[in-house]
Amino acid sequence: MMALDLSQNKHTDVSFEEKERLFDEVKSDSRWDFVLNGCYECGICVAACPSARFYDFSPRVIAQAVAREDADLVYTLMSDSIWDCSQCFSCDRCPRQNSPGQIITIMREVAVKNGLQTAKKALEGYGRIIYKIMSTGSQVSPDMLQPDAFPDWGTHVYEIAENLEVWRKALPPETLHTTETGWKIDKKTIIELYLIWHMTGVMDLIEGVDEGLFMILVDVMEERLEEAGYDDITFD
Amino acid sequence: MAHENIKGCIILQDLHYSVKDNTWIRAEGDIVTIGMTDIAQSLAGPILHAKTKSVGTVRKKGRPIATVESGKWVGPVKSPVTGEIIEVNEGLASDAQLINRSPYRDGWVVKMKANNLDAEMNELTTADEAVEAYRQKIEADGIECSHIDDTDTYD
Repeated sequence: MMALDLSQNKHTDVSFEEKERLFDEVKSDSRWDFVLNGCYECGICVAACPSARFYDFSPRVIAQAVAREDADLVYTLMSDSIWDCSQCFSCDRCPRQNSPGQIITIMREVAVKNGLQTAKKALEGYGRIIYKIMSTGSQVSPDMLQPDAFPDWGTHVYEIAENLEVWRKALPPETLHTTETGWKIDKKTIIELYLIWHMTGVMDLIEGVDEGLFMILVDVMEERLEEAGYDDITFD
Repeated sequence: MAHENIKGCIILQDLHYSVKDNTWIRAEGDIVTIGMTDIAQSLAGPILHAKTKSVGTVRKKGRPIATVESGKWVGPVKSPVTGEIIEVNEGLASDAQLINRSPYRDGWVVKMKANNLDAEMNELTTADEAVEAYRQKIEADGIECSHIDDTDTYD
C-alpha cells in the first residue's frame, strides 16, 4: 500500500522507520516528561498564540500529534510548521500544563541535530547573526540595519544605514563606537566561548546545518585559539 | 568581450567557473585571479565586508579564501584551486561593493600561485559549457540577477 504523503511536496519524504527514529529521539529528551500531559482541546493555546494569528499554525496540532504518537504527522510538522512558532511560550497557560512551545523546542533541536533540509532552510536567514555572535562574542551588529535586511523599518532605515558610522560615534560610551560589533569583547571571554562551543558540540551542529558558515567560523576560531596558545585544538 | 546574459546574470565566456561555488578564475601561467560571479553577488545583495585571507596563506581547493558579509548573508568564497595567496584586492577593505559593481574586473578577490592547475582546471567549466551549466542552475533555482548603481556593463 502506498503511504499517505502528508508533505504536500514541501519537503523530502522519508521512510516510516526514519520518522519513528526521529520521533523516538524527540521522546527520549530529558525534558519530554515535563511538556506533555494530554490535551482536551480547549484551544486556549491557540487563542494565546501570536503565530496562529498570522500563519497556518496551531500549537494544539503539535500537542495532539505527539500525544497520538502519529510519527507521520510529527515528521510533517517537524519539516514545516514548527518553524512558524515564535517561541514566546504564551501557550504555557495550558490548563493541563502542556507546553507546545517546549515540545517544539525539542523537535527543532532534533531537526537541527539530524540536519533536516527544512532546518537548514529555516536557519539560512540567521547565518550572519550566528556568525556575528559566535565570531565576535558580541551581540548582533549595528551594520545589520540595511534596507534589504530590515525593510520593515521603512524608509528610515536608508538614513540609518547610510550614516551609521556617524550615529554610532554620537553615542557617549566609547565601547559602542563600532559598527561591525555591538561592543568590544574581552579576549579572555571570547577564547572561553570558542572553547565551550568546541567542547559542547555546537560546532558539530553548525557543520551539519551550514557547511559554509562552519568553515568561516573555524577559520576565525582556529586562528585566535592558536594565538592564545591552544594550537592543539582543531574542529575538523 | 564575449558574454551571455541569462535573466540579467552576466557570464563571461573566457573565464573558468566553479558553478557549484559560484566562483571564477582567470589564469595566466600558474597565477590565477579569483572572484565571485555576477550570480553570487546578486544572491548576496549589497556587500558590506569582504575579508580576504592574508598573503602567504596556503589553501586547498574548496577552502575559504575570503569571508563576505552582506546585510542578510555571510559566507565563504571557496578557492577553486589549490595554492598560495600572493596578492589580495586591497580595495575591498574600504569598498566591498566593488564585488557588486564589478564582479569580473575591479572586484576580484585574491590572486593565487596554483600548485596543481592543470588537473584542477579540468574540474572547472568554461565557454559554452559554463553558460549552459549556469542556464540550468538559474532556471532550477529561480535566480534573477540584480545590480546596484554604477555596475559594469558589457557590450
